[in-house]
Amino acid sequence: MDPQSTIILGKAIGAGLAMIGAAGGGIGIGLSVGGAVQAMGRNPDHTATIQTNMILGVAFAEAVAIYALVVSLIILFVLS
Amino acid sequence: MNSFWNGKRRFVALLMFLAGVFVALRVPPVIPFIQLPGEKFPEGFNIPFVDIRWTNTMVGSVLVWIVLLLFAVYVTRRRPKDGNEVPPGGFYYLFEVLFEGLMGFVGGIAGGRHFRLIFNMFMTIFLVVLMANWMELVPGVDTIGFIHPHVKEKYDAEADEYKLVTTDGYEIYQGFLGISYVNGQCDWISPADEAAADQAALANAELARLAAAEGVAVKAAYARYQAEHNGHGDDATQEGGDGHGADDHADEAVESDEATAAYDEVLAARVAEKQARRDRSCYTGVAAAPWQDGYEPYDKTKSKDISLHPDPSSDAAKLVPWVVLPFVRVPSTDLNMTLTIALISFVMIQFIGFKALGIGYLTKFFNFGTLFKSPLGGIDVAVGLLELIGDFAKILSFSFRLLGNIFAGSILLFVMSFLVPILPWPFFILEFFVGVIQALVFALLTAIFMNLATISHHHDDDHDHAEAH
Repeated sequence: MDPQSTIILGKAIGAGLAMIGAAGGGIGIGLSVGGAVQAMGRNPDHTATIQTNMILGVAFAEAVAIYALVVSLIILFVLS
Repeated sequence: MNSFWNGKRRFVALLMFLAGVFVALRVPPVIPFIQLPGEKFPEGFNIPFVDIRWTNTMVGSVLVWIVLLLFAVYVTRRRPKDGNEVPPGGFYYLFEVLFEGLMGFVGGIAGGRHFRLIFNMFMTIFLVVLMANWMELVPGVDTIGFIHPHVKEKYDAEADEYKLVTTDGYEIYQGFLGISYVNGQCDWISPADEAAADQAALANAELARLAAAEGVAVKAAYARYQAEHNGHGDDATQEGGDGHGADDHADEAVESDEATAAYDEVLAARVAEKQARRDRSCYTGVAAAPWQDGYEPYDKTKSKDISLHPDPSSDAAKLVPWVVLPFVRVPSTDLNMTLTIALISFVMIQFIGFKALGIGYLTKFFNFGTLFKSPLGGIDVAVGLLELIGDFAKILSFSFRLLGNIFAGSILLFVMSFLVPILPWPFFILEFFVGVIQALVFALLTAIFMNLATISHHHDDDHDHAEAH
């Protein structure tokens, strides 16, 4: 295999491995939204507060997944 | 649905169709190319008064600011002068709904003494980021731009300089209706490499001919030597020169035949190599692109006439894969923009903290007050340092969250447009909502952190204890 192909192979595998981190963000978002929806169902009066906190939590959980995405983007497009 | 295509719409659709045909015939095919940093415009497109090249994300952010300024001018003009006047309808209502809804929203989170400042920050960041995010939905953004060869800078260690080299993997070839296509399966060989390989093949052929000729000449000389000194000719003949030395004229004929055969053999190998590439619909040698002078359509019947001597300095040597450098790109896909807003947000968080709590705000980070008073004072110090680190981590997470989301979104739209050219619209709807949510999250987190910075934890604790007792 020539060096160029090896580099591309390594990049693709690395980027794919980095995106495993997105699974954690997905689990986090699922848990927080599930909990928020349950809470809203139980007391709909507090929907606004719950929603705000949910969006906050989702944003934090998503940030982790985004870090994984950024790492894989850097591997793919910035490393040469 | 039936009446949808009546009237002017029909002609608009026809015009768009004709424009599509025109573009397909006139514009070289481009390959999908993704670049993380904002792309620099070509030479000569400098920002006025500054010696810096425009980047397409910078053009995007300038457009965002122009749109926002127009928006502000429009809204302040349409605003009713007194309370009894009925506000003018249309776009103005949209703004009022947005403004009032978000005012109530932020009031619920950060209502208090500093509401005004927090809401101003919130609304500014929200509008800027929203406009920047929604820019990816505008047709033409990310798609219309300069078309240029797909080259990249590469450091050449021998010459100690940066050189432009073509990137490999793509070939342009002629296909249906004279439209040129991009084939990603071809092994791209740059015109310079092709010419060098041709030169090498020629040199090898010449060497082979010389070697063959020399071999024959040696044999002939040995045969002559044997013929002249017949008495000493009993030595073992390692060369196997028997039979050749019979006639000098025959030697000449054999020599030229053998040398020509050797020469032709090497050249034929080179031709076969090129033919193998051409059989896979890959261009070999150098040819002009359809939009260049000297262009000849790809002709399969002529494919055996492969020129071994292309001129590497010709204009046609520019035949390389092409990419689009968009005039405008979504500003949120550039780290410069997101990092700038994140820094502004960070500075405002610290500013409002100092404004609300004075110099005492620093005790949030450097909390040595309880170090020797309580047995757990060390924990307070550690927590303060963690807060300090966390505050700087906010910059990172703010900037990368927006960048990652919007960059991933624009790649999604981009790739989908290449895969399914007419129907990427579900993804446009997705990106519409992602844009709103990311703008909201950015602004909301800023508002919440600003609100948190105004609250003194120690005062609250003391207060709670006092109440509890």
